[in-house]
Amino acid sequence: MHEMSLALEIRSICERELAKLPETRITAVGVQVGAFSGVEVDSLQFCLEIVMSEGFDGVRCEIEREPGRAVCLNCDREFRVERAPFECPSCGALARGVSGGGGLQLSYMEVE
Amino acid sequence: MGAERVEVKEKVLSANDQIAAELRRHLTAHKVFAINLISSPGSGKTTLLERTVDLLKPSLRLGVVAGDVQTRNDAERLERHGIPVQAIETGGGCHLNARQVEGVLESLDLAQTDLLFIENVGNLVCPSSFDLGESLKVVLMSVTEGEDKPLKYPAAFRRASVLVLTKVDLVPHLQFSMQLAVDNALSINPDLVVFSTSSFSGEGLETWSGWLSEQVSACKRDS
Repeated sequence: MHEMSLALEIRSICERELAKLPETRITAVGVQVGAFSGVEVDSLQFCLEIVMSEGFDGVRCEIEREPGRAVCLNCDREFRVERAPFECPSCGALARGVSGGGGLQLSYMEVE
Repeated sequence: MGAERVEVKEKVLSANDQIAAELRRHLTAHKVFAINLISSPGSGKTTLLERTVDLLKPSLRLGVVAGDVQTRNDAERLERHGIPVQAIETGGGCHLNARQVEGVLESLDLAQTDLLFIENVGNLVCPSSFDLGESLKVVLMSVTEGEDKPLKYPAAFRRASVLVLTKVDLVPHLQFSMQLAVDNALSINPDLVVFSTSSFSGEGLETWSGWLSEQVSACKRDS
C-alpha cells in the first residue's frame, strides 16, 4: 500500500541527483528491495512506472531483490533466505533470526 | 553518446529518516521515552493504551500521538483518560511518517512528558518501514489473528523490539497455540521481548506497565 509513497521518494531523489548532472537524461533506475523490507516488488514496479511517466517518461525501472542471510542453529551453515520459515538447506533445522534483506535503496541511475 | 551508470546508493526513505533522526535527538534531549505501536486494525492498540494509561498515570507524565486514516475516535477515547493527546488523521494514508509526527509534536509539552505513545495506523505492512524517531517499536498481535501472523508479515516483527499478545482471555475459546505464535515471532526476531495481555481481564497488564516504567527510568538515567 505504501509503494506509491516510495515511488514518489525515488522520483524526488532522481530529480535531485539529475540536477547535479547538466544536459543528461535518465534512461533507467535501479532499485534494490530487501526480501524483508515489507515492500511488494510488483506493486513498486507499477507505481514507479506511473510516477516516472511524469518528467521521466520511458525510464526503465530495474528492481533487484536483496535476500537475507540466516545461520543454522544446528550445523552453523549460513544460507540465503527469501521468506520464512528459515530452514537450513543442509540439515533442515530452523535458523533463528535473519540479517540483511531489510533495506530499500536507489542503487543507480543510468543516464545519457 | 552511450548510457552511463551513476551510482546513487541512497536509502529511498532517507528524507523520512532524516526527520526521524531529528525527532529522536529532540525526544532524547527532553528525556522522553517514545514507543511506536504497530498492529493490524482491531488488534486492540487503543484499548491496551487506555488500560496502560490508567495504570501509569499516577507515576508518570504521559502523552499520546494517535494516528488514524479517518476520524478522531481513538484520540477522543484516550483524551477521556485525562492525558494530552494529539491526533493525526492521515486522510487515506496507510501509515504515519516522521513529518506528520514532527507536525504534532510541537503541540505537546515534551519537558512535561516521560513516556510518549505513538499509536500508528492499524496496518501490519507499511508502518514498519517508516522510522518516527521512537525509542523502540512495539508490535501487537491479538490471539484471534492466527499463529502465522509473524511469518506473513515478517517486516513488522523484525523491526519491533517488543511483542505484545493481546486478548489472551479469549484463548480458551479458540484453537490458538500461544507457544506456536511466540515461536513463529522468535524465528523472525529472536530478540523480541514478549508480553501476554488481556485488556478485558487485566491479565499481564501490570507486568507490561512495569516494564515500561523501567524503560522510562533507564531512559532518564542514560540521556
